Amino acid sequence: MAALTTTTTASRAAVLPGVLRNRSAGKLLLLAVAAAILVPLLNARWGSGSWPHALTVDLSAPLARTSDWIIDNRDSHPLFLYFFGHLSNAVVLSVRAVYLVLLAAGWAGVTVAAGLLAWRTAGMRLALATTAAFLACGLLGMWVPTMQTLALMVVAVLASVALGAVLGLAAGLSDRTYRALRPVLDTMQVFPAFAYLLPVVLVFGIGVPAAVFATVVYAAPPMARLTALGLRDADKEVLEAVESLGTTARQRLLTARLPLARRELLLGLNQTIMMALSMAVIASVIGGGGLGDRVYQALASVDVGAALAAGIPIVLLAVVLDRVTGAAGERPGPGGRAGWAYAAGVTVAVALAVRLLGRPDWPASWTVPIAAPVNRAVDWMTAHLYTGVPYVGGTADWAARFTTWVLDPVRAGLQWLPWWSVLLVVAALAWLIGTWRTALTAVLAMAATGVLGVWKPSLDTLSQVLAAVAVTLVLGLATGIAAARSDRLERLLRPVLDVFQTLPQFVYLIPVVALFGVGRAPAVAAAIVYAFPAVVRITAQGLRQVDPAALESARSLGATSGQQLRQVQLPLARPALLLAVNQGVVLVLAVVIIGGLVGGGALGYDVVFGLAQGDLATGLVAGAAIVCLGLMLDRVTQPTGHHPKKGA
Amino acid sequence: MSTDASSTSVRTEVDTPVFSVAGLWKVFGPKAERVPADPELAALSAAELRERTGCTAAIRDVGFDVRKGEVFVIMGLSGSGKSTLVRCLTRLIEPTAGTLAIDGEDVRAMDKARLRELRRHRAAMVFQHFGLLPHRTVLDNVAYGLEIQGVGRAERRERAAAFVAKVGLEGMEQRRPAQLSGGQRQRVGLARALAVDPEVLLFDEPFSALDPLIRRDMQEEVVRLHREEGRTMVFVTHDLSEALKLGDRIALMRDGRLVQLGTPEEIVGSPADDYVRAFVRDVPREQVVTVRTAMRAASAEETADGPALPPDATVAEAIEAVARTGSPARVMDEGRCLGVVDHDRLLRVVAGTEQGPGRRAPEAGQRPERHDKAA
Repeated sequence: MAALTTTTTASRAAVLPGVLRNRSAGKLLLLAVAAAILVPLLNARWGSGSWPHALTVDLSAPLARTSDWIIDNRDSHPLFLYFFGHLSNAVVLSVRAVYLVLLAAGWAGVTVAAGLLAWRTAGMRLALATTAAFLACGLLGMWVPTMQTLALMVVAVLASVALGAVLGLAAGLSDRTYRALRPVLDTMQVFPAFAYLLPVVLVFGIGVPAAVFATVVYAAPPMARLTALGLRDADKEVLEAVESLGTTARQRLLTARLPLARRELLLGLNQTIMMALSMAVIASVIGGGGLGDRVYQALASVDVGAALAAGIPIVLLAVVLDRVTGAAGERPGPGGRAGWAYAAGVTVAVALAVRLLGRPDWPASWTVPIAAPVNRAVDWMTAHLYTGVPYVGGTADWAARFTTWVLDPVRAGLQWLPWWSVLLVVAALAWLIGTWRTALTAVLAMAATGVLGVWKPSLDTLSQVLAAVAVTLVLGLATGIAAARSDRLERLLRPVLDVFQTLPQFVYLIPVVALFGVGRAPAVAAAIVYAFPAVVRITAQGLRQVDPAALESARSLGATSGQQLRQVQLPLARPALLLAVNQGVVLVLAVVIIGGLVGGGALGYDVVFGLAQGDLATGLVAGAAIVCLGLMLDRVTQPTGHHPKKGA
Repeated sequence: MSTDASSTSVRTEVDTPVFSVAGLWKVFGPKAERVPADPELAALSAAELRERTGCTAAIRDVGFDVRKGEVFVIMGLSGSGKSTLVRCLTRLIEPTAGTLAIDGEDVRAMDKARLRELRRHRAAMVFQHFGLLPHRTVLDNVAYGLEIQGVGRAERRERAAAFVAKVGLEGMEQRRPAQLSGGQRQRVGLARALAVDPEVLLFDEPFSALDPLIRRDMQEEVVRLHREEGRTMVFVTHDLSEALKLGDRIALMRDGRLVQLGTPEEIVGSPADDYVRAFVRDVPREQVVTVRTAMRAASAEETADGPALPPDATVAEAIEAVARTGSPARVMDEGRCLGVVDHDRLLRVVAGTEQGPGRRAPEAGQRPERHDKAA
């Protein structure tokens, strides 16, 4: 490949003059020529302001009709009656059943069961942590919502794992399925969670089934990807050895391929659980109930204390779930059956004991109401830190200044740019980093937002994304470089980043609302905090994985540490750095969209508005635009078509 | 190996060959089957073939018989097609053209069930990187072949335990492959192959991933196993000394073709072409050449006296005997004196100036350096 590149460059260099020796310059020149021909034409035809009205397709009317039709026919049409209806009923029943089991076990039963489960799969320390986390949920007065979320999660995770495993098996065993499925799964990973909400609401209406289905669609891809990956990456020689002994295909799958893929399967389970939690919380917007709903309601009335009381259980649940499933993947294998039987026995005994004592529900007197003190603290902050702190200014001042000096000019600039020039910039960026295919996809996706008639809100969202990405990258790359150069800093950062990376996107909104109030600046701040850990981690890892031999040879030539960084580490870690940018962009977009809940406006707000007002057409159009924007941003920053796991 | 009396006797047996291969081709690439079919394409060099068709011929028109009870070594450098060839024998890689039979039964015509039967009971393979299942204990790895044949748990464990002991891993039954050294892992691989009691053992560079000392141990293990059981073995290696040490016969491969097929002595004593000659140039000839080749006719008094050697003894062994007694050694076969080797004869072998049977005189311009040095 490298040789091929060299020859094409060389042959071109022979024909074309100086500037074009460089591949990038060649691409840009080609693009400039195309633009020089096309732009006057486009200008003459449609003018050069915002996206021309003639090129939009108004989807809201047909979408509204579809939505009305579905609402009218939900109870009568056979498709709903015999397919979606049954699906929806099955989901409601299973969630209900799990919820009742959890309630029947009582708080003590559930806590003991969780602790023992963690003990069997992950050891003593995590068992204690798990027990403590569940007790904390109770203490915060959030036992019932926690169980609601848990019930929804159990059903959604089981369905996601089943669906993901089936798809993964198919893709792992058949090359054709893999080729067909991979781009779909890859692309699904870059879509913000919000984009999944509207379509399921359209079919299922607001409620638990919609929440479960949105969660399944969001959480199944990692399981499918990792199952397929595990099956495909199995040691070729082991498989050959197994085949040489005369195994049937079934025996190969059961005795070799699946056991060899154990790590990937458990990693898939871990990611699916984490994404399911993240989505189950967001799905409160469409009637998921539980902890997410408490946060959502509290944020809607800017009641930070109540939001925090519900947010802490989410955080605890996330950390515990991540650690326990992660540890299961590290350990060689589950212990004996006796241990499990013992665990089950203890659980049943405790549940019965508490039931006989007549205290299956969390005792009301054992709760610690933190909402009021937190709100007092927030009030104090509002009074003292928001504004007018000498020299540094207040947090609200910062937010206002960030909005006035960064967000507003970027948005105004983007919206002032002629529409064709935006497309041109997108094309240039995507082509420089990737291939003409990625460039084409990016341009079409960007144009689609215009066609959908949401050019302006899309650019508004884009402006927030750009501002957040810029800050994230500056901070993240700097921290990542520092962490790669100092072991101590890395040791300090690692646990913090670990925790931050496991948290659902939703909870990031709570602290920023406390600090900055509502508006676009807090949404951007939440996005920065959410994307920062991934960028730091990928950067640090990329720099540390630079070939030590190259570094050693640079050192032996007497390079200073700055020279080593600039001339060896950064160039060699280029793929990792590009990946960091790509991940940063994808993660930032996801949270900027959710920022619609705290006054971020733009596309995210359209989705929320559509849901709140029952105006599904507006929401669906915004959702489609979000998908296009996600696609565009991913392709613009996509180096080689290589796709990482989200949040990895 | 060549000194082993039992292998000599089986070598002379006339029997249906275990493997009978003729005109075998393996071509990778688009529309591979047209290459062997078209004499013009078949004659192209590797580079030309790739240019013309985009195909790579890993094996080109190879034919040989593997006799019952022999150690048949397939030897060549990396990329010579030797590993592909051994995989073709049980169709782990599907041959493109040619005939291939095991005990006279056409392997290429076998359906899936019959092929599984072949792999389960008739040919077991030992791999370079062991190919063990990391999630199973040593015992369960060894029992794996029996498990897939449907042998019950207690029985297969009992049988596997015997083979674990046979390869010298007693007490390690419950360990996992990750807890073993490379040599121990390969012993597990060997035990797994032996446990299914196959008619023929296939080895694909089994010891090249091991340290030299361990490798020698394992080679001796194979020699011992072969001496004890007399099982037919096909052994792939890129290591000439390993090939000479283990092989009753050696098939030398180059660029997918079989360059020479013969006993170690024939390969070293009369290389078929310059490639083989260059290959075996540094081989200590006294280790390979037998006294049968080196001897001269004995005079009357010589047949009566002096140390006796079997005809398959190497020149190195003869040197030791001659040096010890100071007199020429007799080559004795079943009480009959075939000839004698004396100082002069033995030195000629070491110097490389002897004119062995079938050995072509080196042409003027292509004399091996060794020869020049010795002269």
